[in-house]
Amino acid sequence: MNRWIILFFSLIMTGAFAHGQKTHSLGDEAHSIKDSGKTYHESISVIRKMHPEFLNHKRDKTLREGVRTEEYSLKGCVTCHATKKDNSNDYHPVNSEGQFCSTCHKKVATSVDCFSCHRTTPAQGAK
Amino acid sequence: MEKTINRRDFIKTTTATTAGVATLATGITLTTFVNANENPVTNEKRWGMLIDTNRLTETDIDGMVGACQKEHGWGSDKLSTGDQKASWIKKLKVKDTATGRISNLALMCQHCEEPPCVDVCPTNASMKREDGIVLVDKHLCIGCRYCMMACPYEARSFVHEELTDQKEHMPRGKGTVESCTMCVHKVDKGEQPACVASVNSDAVIFGDLYDSSSKINQTLKKVQSTQIRADLNLNTAVRYSGI
Amino acid sequence: MSIIRYEQTQGKSLGFYALVAGLGAFILAALGSVYFMEHNGHHVTGMSNRIVWGMPHVFALFLIVAASGALNIASIASVFNKKVYKPLSRLSGLVALALLAGGLMVLVLDLGRPDRLIVAMTEYNFNSIFAWNIILYNGFFVIVGVYLWMMFERRMNKYSRSVGIAAFTWRLILTTGTGSIFGFLVARQAYDAVIMAPMFVIMSFAFGLAFFILVLMASYKWTARPLGDATVNRLSNLLGVFVAAVLYFVAVYHLGNLYLAENSGVENFILLDGGIYTKLFWYGQIILGSLVPLALLYSPATKGNRSMLGLASVLIILGGLIQLYVIIIGGQAYPMELFPGKEILEGYGTIASYTPTLPELMLGLGGVAVAIIAITYLVKFLPFLPESLADDVVDPHHKK
Repeated sequence: MNRWIILFFSLIMTGAFAHGQKTHSLGDEAHSIKDSGKTYHESISVIRKMHPEFLNHKRDKTLREGVRTEEYSLKGCVTCHATKKDNSNDYHPVNSEGQFCSTCHKKVATSVDCFSCHRTTPAQGAK
Repeated sequence: MEKTINRRDFIKTTTATTAGVATLATGITLTTFVNANENPVTNEKRWGMLIDTNRLTETDIDGMVGACQKEHGWGSDKLSTGDQKASWIKKLKVKDTATGRISNLALMCQHCEEPPCVDVCPTNASMKREDGIVLVDKHLCIGCRYCMMACPYEARSFVHEELTDQKEHMPRGKGTVESCTMCVHKVDKGEQPACVASVNSDAVIFGDLYDSSSKINQTLKKVQSTQIRADLNLNTAVRYSGI
Repeated sequence: MSIIRYEQTQGKSLGFYALVAGLGAFILAALGSVYFMEHNGHHVTGMSNRIVWGMPHVFALFLIVAASGALNIASIASVFNKKVYKPLSRLSGLVALALLAGGLMVLVLDLGRPDRLIVAMTEYNFNSIFAWNIILYNGFFVIVGVYLWMMFERRMNKYSRSVGIAAFTWRLILTTGTGSIFGFLVARQAYDAVIMAPMFVIMSFAFGLAFFILVLMASYKWTARPLGDATVNRLSNLLGVFVAAVLYFVAVYHLGNLYLAENSGVENFILLDGGIYTKLFWYGQIILGSLVPLALLYSPATKGNRSMLGLASVLIILGGLIQLYVIIIGGQAYPMELFPGKEILEGYGTIASYTPTLPELMLGLGGVAVAIIAITYLVKFLPFLPESLADDVVDPHHKK
C-alpha cells in the first residue's frame, strides 16, 4: 500500500513541477497567440499528455495515406514553438537546450526521436 | 496448367493467415472528408513517368539530378565518400553492344507495382502507397539495408552521416534508408515532381497511368516503351522509350 | 554404458581469468567500435550504398550459421539415438546458444538505428524472410533452452528426445531461412539460387562442428579432464564428411550458375578475374579452408593427431569466414545486369570497391568473443561438461 501512496505523490509532484515551469521557451508564434488571448490547442493538459499519440497517428496518415491536413502536423509544432535567436533572423532548433521540446523532455528524461530526421527550425522564408 | 506460381506468391499465400492478423489493426481508418488532401489516396490512380531517351538530352538529365537535389536537399554530404554519397537519381549512358547506339537516361526508384524492397523489409518501413508511390517510412526503418540488397536498380541510399538543416517536407536522418519519393509532397498538392518540371520538353511525362485521358496514358498507348529489368515482372511505374 | 557425471568447471585458475580478461578486451573493443560507428554514422566504415552489407555481416552470418550447426551433436544423440554423442549434448546446446547470441549481437549493433530494436520486435512484415528469421532466432533460444532443461532435469529426461526432434527441425528451418536471405534476392545474379538454402545448411554442419570441436578440446585440456580418442576421432571423421559435403555444394552452385549465360559474368568474376575475391575463393575458401583440412583429417600422417585436428578446425572456421566474405561482399561488388545486351558506359556498372575498416572487424570479433565468454562462464556455473570422456566411460565395449 505504502508503495502506491509514494508513487501517487511522486506523480502529483512531477505534475506540479511541470506546470510550474516558466514558459520562456514557448516559441515566438505560440507566444503571440497566447498574448492575443486566443487559444490554439483545445486543452493544454490534453495536448501535453497526448501529443505523442496525436503525432504518431498523424504521421501514419500523412506518410502512408497522403492525408496532408495541418492538424497535428509536426511542421506546425515547429513553426509555432520555435524561438528566434537574439539579434538574428535564425531560429534556435526546437530540440536544443532550453527550447520548447527539450525543456520538458529533459525533465521527464524521455528522448525525442523526431529530430534525428525532421527539420528543427521553421523553413527558410517562413515568418 | 495456366496458373504459374512464383516465390513471392507462394510466401504470400502461406503467410496469409498470420498476416491477416497484422493487417486487422491498420484497417481502422474510415473517414469522410471533402478536400482531396484530407482523403487517403486510393488505388484508382497510379502515378507514373515516361522518359523518352530519344528526346532527353544530357543537359536535361543533369537538370533533373540538380532539381532533385535542390528539392530534397541531398548531394551535399560532407563526410561520406565515393559510393557512400546519397544518390536518388543517376545519369546513365548505355551503349548497345551490337549496334553501338548510345542512349542517355535518368535512373531512379522505378516505383514497382510489386516492389522487392517492400517484400523484404522486416518492419514494414518500406511501403507502397495505394497510388503506387514507393516510400521509406523512416519512423520504422531500423537501417538493416535489406531493401538495398533487394532493389534491382540500386535506387536506394543509406544515410551514412549526421544531417542537419533538412528540407521541411523531406525528413532525412543518419542510419535510415531513403530514395526517390516521386516528390510525393508535390504530387499530393497536384504538382509535378521536381525532375519532371525541370525538363522543358515533353521528354519526361508524369501522370496517372490509369486515367485514359491523361497524357502519359495516351502516349504509352501510342509509342513503344520498356521497363528496366522487365524480366522480373515488377511492373514499374517509370517507363522508358527509345532504349 | 556407465553413468555419465557432469560437473562444473572450477574457473578459479589464472588461465581462466586470463581467458576472460582477453575476451573482455575484445568485447570492450567491439563496444567502442559500435559507439564510434553509431556516433559518426556509417561513413567511418568501408560500407557504402553499393556494398551495403560488409564485414559485420560476414561475422554475424557465420556465427548464426555455426550456431545451428553446433546443435548437431545433440541432435545426433537424441534424434538419431547415437549413444556416443549423448554426453556431449549439453555442451552442444550451450555452444549453439552462445554462437547465436554472438551473431545476433553483431547483426543488431551494425543496424543504422540499433536503438530501434524494439521496432524490429513489434513490427513484422510476414512477407519478409528477414522478419521470419527474427522469429526463428528467438524461437531457437526458447527451444534450445527447453531442450537443455529436459537434459539437465532428470525427471524431464524422458522428454528430451521429442524436444530434441523439435529443436532439430527448428534449426533446419532456421538455416534454410538464413540461406534464403540471399536465395530470395531475385535481382542479384550472385544470389538468386534456391541452392543457397541447402548450401547454408551444410555449411552450418561444418562450421558449427569445427567450433564445437575446438571448444571441447580446449575445455578438456584446460580443466585436465580425460577426453578419449573414441569421441574425438568420431567427431574428426564427421567433420571431414561435412567439409567434403560443403565442397560438393559449392561445386554444384557454381556449375549451375555457369550454365546460365545470364550469370556467367558474375561467375567469371568470382572464379577467374575478380582480383581479391578470386584469390580469396581459390586460396582461402577452397585450398586453405577445405582441401588442407581434409588432408589433415584423413591423411595417415596426421590422422588422430589432436593438434592437427585443432588446426583443421581453425582452418575450417577461417575458410568459412572467407566463404561468407566471397558470397556476401563479392556478390555485391559485381554490378547487377540492368540492360541485357547493352553496355553501361557511365553512371553504373563498375565493380564496387570495399575496404573493411578496423571498427567493423572489431565488432565481428567481439561477437566471437561474446560467444566464447558465455560458454566459459556457463560451464563454470552449470554442469555442462562430463567429468570424464575417457574411452571406457563413453563406450564400455571399448577395447584397450
